Amino acid sequence: MLRYIVKRILAVIPTLILISIFVFMFVRFIPGDPARRVAGPDATLEDVEMIRETLGLNKPVFEQYKDYILGLLHGDMGTSLKTKRAVTYEIGLRYMNTVTLTISSLVWSVIFGVLIGVFSGKNRSKWQDYAGMTFAVSGISLPSFWLGLMLIQIFSVKLKWLPTVGAEGFKSLILPSITLGASVAAIIARFTRSSIIEVMKEDYIRTAYAKGLKDKKVIWKHVFKNSMIPVVTVVGLQFGFLLGGSVVTESVFAYPGLGSLLIDSVNFRDYPMIQSLILIFSMNFVLINLIVDLIYAALNPEIKLQ
Amino acid sequence: MKKKFIKLMAFVLILSFVLGGCSQNSEEKTPVTDEKPTQTEADNKGEIKTDIVIATAVDFITMDPLDANDTLSGGLQRTMMEGLFGFDKDMKIIPLLAESYTANDNATEFTFKLKQGVKFSDGTDFNADAAIVNLKRMADQTLGLKRNSLFKMIANNEKIDDYTVKVTLNEPFGAFVNTLAHPAALMVSPKALDEYGKDVSQHPVGTGRYIFDTWSPGEQLVIKQNPDYWGGASEFTSVTFKPVTENGTRVAMLQSGDADFIFPVPSEQIASLEGNSNITVERRPSIVTRYITMNTKKKPFDDVKVRQALNYAIDKEAYAQIVYNGFAKTSSSLLAPNVQFYDAQKPYEYDVEKAKQLLAEAGYPNGFETKLWSSNTSTMIKATQFIKQQLAQVGVTVNVENMEVGTLEDKVTGYPVGTPGEESDIEMYVIGWSPSTGDADWGLRPLASTESAPPVSYNAAYYSNPVFDAAIQGALETADPDKRAEQYKIAQKQVWDDAPMLYLVVDDNTFAYNNKIEGITIIADGSMDLSGGKLVK
Repeated sequence: MLRYIVKRILAVIPTLILISIFVFMFVRFIPGDPARRVAGPDATLEDVEMIRETLGLNKPVFEQYKDYILGLLHGDMGTSLKTKRAVTYEIGLRYMNTVTLTISSLVWSVIFGVLIGVFSGKNRSKWQDYAGMTFAVSGISLPSFWLGLMLIQIFSVKLKWLPTVGAEGFKSLILPSITLGASVAAIIARFTRSSIIEVMKEDYIRTAYAKGLKDKKVIWKHVFKNSMIPVVTVVGLQFGFLLGGSVVTESVFAYPGLGSLLIDSVNFRDYPMIQSLILIFSMNFVLINLIVDLIYAALNPEIKLQ
Repeated sequence: MKKKFIKLMAFVLILSFVLGGCSQNSEEKTPVTDEKPTQTEADNKGEIKTDIVIATAVDFITMDPLDANDTLSGGLQRTMMEGLFGFDKDMKIIPLLAESYTANDNATEFTFKLKQGVKFSDGTDFNADAAIVNLKRMADQTLGLKRNSLFKMIANNEKIDDYTVKVTLNEPFGAFVNTLAHPAALMVSPKALDEYGKDVSQHPVGTGRYIFDTWSPGEQLVIKQNPDYWGGASEFTSVTFKPVTENGTRVAMLQSGDADFIFPVPSEQIASLEGNSNITVERRPSIVTRYITMNTKKKPFDDVKVRQALNYAIDKEAYAQIVYNGFAKTSSSLLAPNVQFYDAQKPYEYDVEKAKQLLAEAGYPNGFETKLWSSNTSTMIKATQFIKQQLAQVGVTVNVENMEVGTLEDKVTGYPVGTPGEESDIEMYVIGWSPSTGDADWGLRPLASTESAPPVSYNAAYYSNPVFDAAIQGALETADPDKRAEQYKIAQKQVWDDAPMLYLVVDDNTFAYNNKIEGITIIADGSMDLSGGKLVK
């Protein structure tokens, strides 16, 4: 088991190197000159050239890449072109915010989504199913900026129960988590439902019913556990996406997370910041995939880790 | 049958959910007036709110005055630091740390008398030595800070006595005092410069009304009252700035009381705030001038008649209404009215017939086809569509190309220095300009002088006129305001009549605040001015 984990982690290194090269090249292929962006809207060519030199952007690309990789080996991700602060500091500030928000939205949306999915699937084509799927369709279709602004109008402006913006304490997490989790809950509900329907068709479920087991026991003991594998995959994927930060939710709630940082950095052509963020996002995915594989094995002993 | 019915019910349910949400939204706007309960609550407790919250659209970038080129950071720096000169609400120059100044006739020597008895918030005295440390830092072109080049004309700083400094320039520069009023020229405590070095950008120390407290990038920045401020302590004990990108959220923060002051107020949201008796919405003219450059080196724009024709062909009043919801005024010079030495010109009144006649005289009775570049913000997309539709009335076919800002900059400036306008791909280009020094020189020279053609600066019309160039140069060679005014009058008239640009509008700054505070304002350059900030008792 441990050997498997170590092997998987080591196997990731070449992937990360490739990603770093690609991202490094791609950000430099986007049109737009970071020196000009840093210099500002009213800078003269002279200013721009001076800034290009101070930022080291006039060096050959290969040399810039070498510096970047050598820095990475020392845990140094470079300096933000925009704020001149260390990239690790800027990302560090927001990383935990994003993790907190991701986990709090994921917890409620997984519980809610799975419950709805189970009841919808079990009561296929009955009113419970339609009610559940109505929720799911709305969850996916409501644009999150609209949902977010609506929640602010109701709970902050009208009722004054919750703060409009910020990242301080539990109260300020409630509205962003609802907004961010709504579509995830909906996706999970739909996956759970179809998976439950699939499993309910299996012979062993028929057998379980045939031997006189109670409905509740069949559903939770036999159907539920076996139908969770695709759901775990989806939850893992969603987890990875959410860890990349959500631009819309973050900007509606002025929540200092990674999504708005990435967009901001792309607009500013903040090369070191973009590179580092993408690298971190890739690592998140790799780790999550590993965890998902471990959960598979726990859910179904037939799946072996090799 | 049953199944169909249920499906229908489900559909109705979704619909009612969505519509219900929508109607709630529109209802929300009217009854915002009854927000009094919270206010009386506060009154009952007898608390006076002395900590205020300001929500802005973007985050601050740096607190090093010399390294900031965004007006927002500049405005905030002014709350903590002061320069020798500053701007009042109308961008008139006022002395701050300087008491007075004298200059020689050809604007190469400036002598400043400094204010006495002022201390930086870390206890360091403000005197000639402190001023010189700062002036040297500004002039030091090896630091690689964004605003150093504004001060490259400083040749020498001399201490006459403890409170008198003489600055010698290496070329005549009549706008020098304006440059010293720029936020880049704020005075930083020499001790802090020593102690923090480059990190002074995270630890600003000045002589201002407020002292830097904490900064959590992307989340908030807090400044607190300077009890020893030479002009008397501020009424607010602390001010918290929060960057809130989403327009609707900023407005909601003001409505819910989570913010006391918001800027900017998006024009489409103003109506929803105006009915609220607890909230004041204000608009003040900015110095952002909007125009379209026309490449004067390319056909058909090489003909002045064509350029004037297009100026007549656009209804600028309608443009202000449609693109800026009425929160803009039509341009009356390349300079905005709040820029020093502004001189009103005869407007190009909207006149389709006259435009057609001028086009015919120039040899384009059936118009022509051209392309129009702009960025791809929603405002610019609206603007370019409006322009396209207006110019179609006089037979000009406009192909609009909205581009991402970086791409657009590459297209405009991606040529070696000295590339003639004929070889550039640019034809028409919608852009705006805000001269951060509030001075005519910075409002005219980068946009229209021959030396400023891309990529050196922003003369994207490749306009070149000896009369204009001479006037701009002449104005710099004297410090006498009357002589400078005369030169800028010539320059403004020339560039207006030659019409290398299609002059559009000057934006308004809009901001809003609740009835607990007053006196905070947005000055014309778009920076916040907290100096008059008071609590309403």
